[in-house]
Amino acid sequence: MPTAKAPDLTGPATLILSSLADGTKHGYALTKDIEGFANVRISPGTMYEALARLEKQGLIEPVQSDDRRRPYRLTAAGAHALQEHLEAQRQVAEIGIKRLAGLRGAFQ
Amino acid sequence: MNAQFNDQPAPDAAERRAARLTRLYPRAWRERYGEEFAALLVDDILERPRSVSRVASVVRCGTTARLVAAGLLESSDSTDHARRARSGTALVALSTVPFLLLGLAVWSQLTVNWQWSDPHSPATHVAMLLMSVTTAAFAVLALIAAAPFVWSTGRTLIKGSLRARRRLTLPLLLTLVGAVGLFLGTRHFGHNWPGTGGHPWAGRGLVPTHIASSIWAATVWITSYWAHPRALGAFPPAQIAWMLLCPVALVATLTGLMLTVYRGEPLSDRALVFETRVAACAAATMVAFLAGATCWLFANQPHVAGLSRPGTIDFLAGAAMAGALVVAFAAARTAVSATAALDRVRKARYTRHPGAPPTG
Repeated sequence: MPTAKAPDLTGPATLILSSLADGTKHGYALTKDIEGFANVRISPGTMYEALARLEKQGLIEPVQSDDRRRPYRLTAAGAHALQEHLEAQRQVAEIGIKRLAGLRGAFQ
Repeated sequence: MNAQFNDQPAPDAAERRAARLTRLYPRAWRERYGEEFAALLVDDILERPRSVSRVASVVRCGTTARLVAAGLLESSDSTDHARRARSGTALVALSTVPFLLLGLAVWSQLTVNWQWSDPHSPATHVAMLLMSVTTAAFAVLALIAAAPFVWSTGRTLIKGSLRARRRLTLPLLLTLVGAVGLFLGTRHFGHNWPGTGGHPWAGRGLVPTHIASSIWAATVWITSYWAHPRALGAFPPAQIAWMLLCPVALVATLTGLMLTVYRGEPLSDRALVFETRVAACAAATMVAFLAGATCWLFANQPHVAGLSRPGTIDFLAGAAMAGALVVAFAAARTAVSATAALDRVRKARYTRHPGAPPTG
């Protein structure tokens, strides 16, 4: 019986989900927001490759709009997956920083 | 790397550029994301009129989407295993067509020669043996692969609705017209093939004469004579007419068959798994056939003359066959992995609901 697999949040997925955690955004708004908080410019092809994958995984969903710039929002599953992923990242970051502190002086 | 300039394009020009870039994606993808993707591209073009990275990203992602849609590449997120298996299997079948046409043209050339004289070359013997056995294997595989489609088409024609039957009328008619044209043409011109020349003592080759002559007549249009109009002009007008009509009949037959499959009932999961296995066998048979052809092409045979001596067109055919084989292998791999995933899903469904049969 297949087990539930954790969603793949590699590549730009974490950045996109983090941006959508702030509210619904369309492709270009996502690009600008991510550029602002992460200093990373996601190109249009990569952006839609990731949006399509996240939508198929059920982590984001499109919002009805009259504008052809269709906005997306985070789903409950997406929020949960982002929370778990960021917690795990924080744990790794904290351990890394703690161990680096132990090394302080070794390279001076 | 971005090359940015301040010469902002007019919105109309940006729309046109966005539309051009969007066309790099397959139709199904465009139907879902095309509009919103074009809007993002327009915004991006207006902000960064010239960006190499934008074009590179669209070319890369569009090509990837097309390869995934064609079943040549596995999409990490694709959960529609049946669709991937279908497109992969269909692509194996499609790449087999040019492979076989070119391969049989090469094979029939050697067959013609062998009917008259033994090539006295171990490389040509091995090549002919490999190609002849694999040609027979292709015929068996084609019959096996056709069985589920013949069954479902027959069932539709007998028990299907009027609408379903009407949908099949044109494709079946096209197949019939093309096949009858091919049969009559190959039968007529096969009688005069250079392998026998009407001499009863000819026919010492590896392949039965009537099979060899039919294949020669069906592939006689694949020739370098098209590049030499003066030499071609010496052919009887009826043969030139056949060389022009034969590919038309072949295209009509193949188009009719493809439309029949496309418009017919979709295969069950079990039949799809069966077709995928046949497709994998076909890809393996292609390897054996190409090994035979390569053996003939690259064996150093300075003493060999006439039709047994490979020419430029034979090397071009070999290269094209290798290309078709690469496509077929990639497609077969995708199809096999998709059916494996399909099988896992089916078994999981059965484990959850043991009363239900594990069929799709």
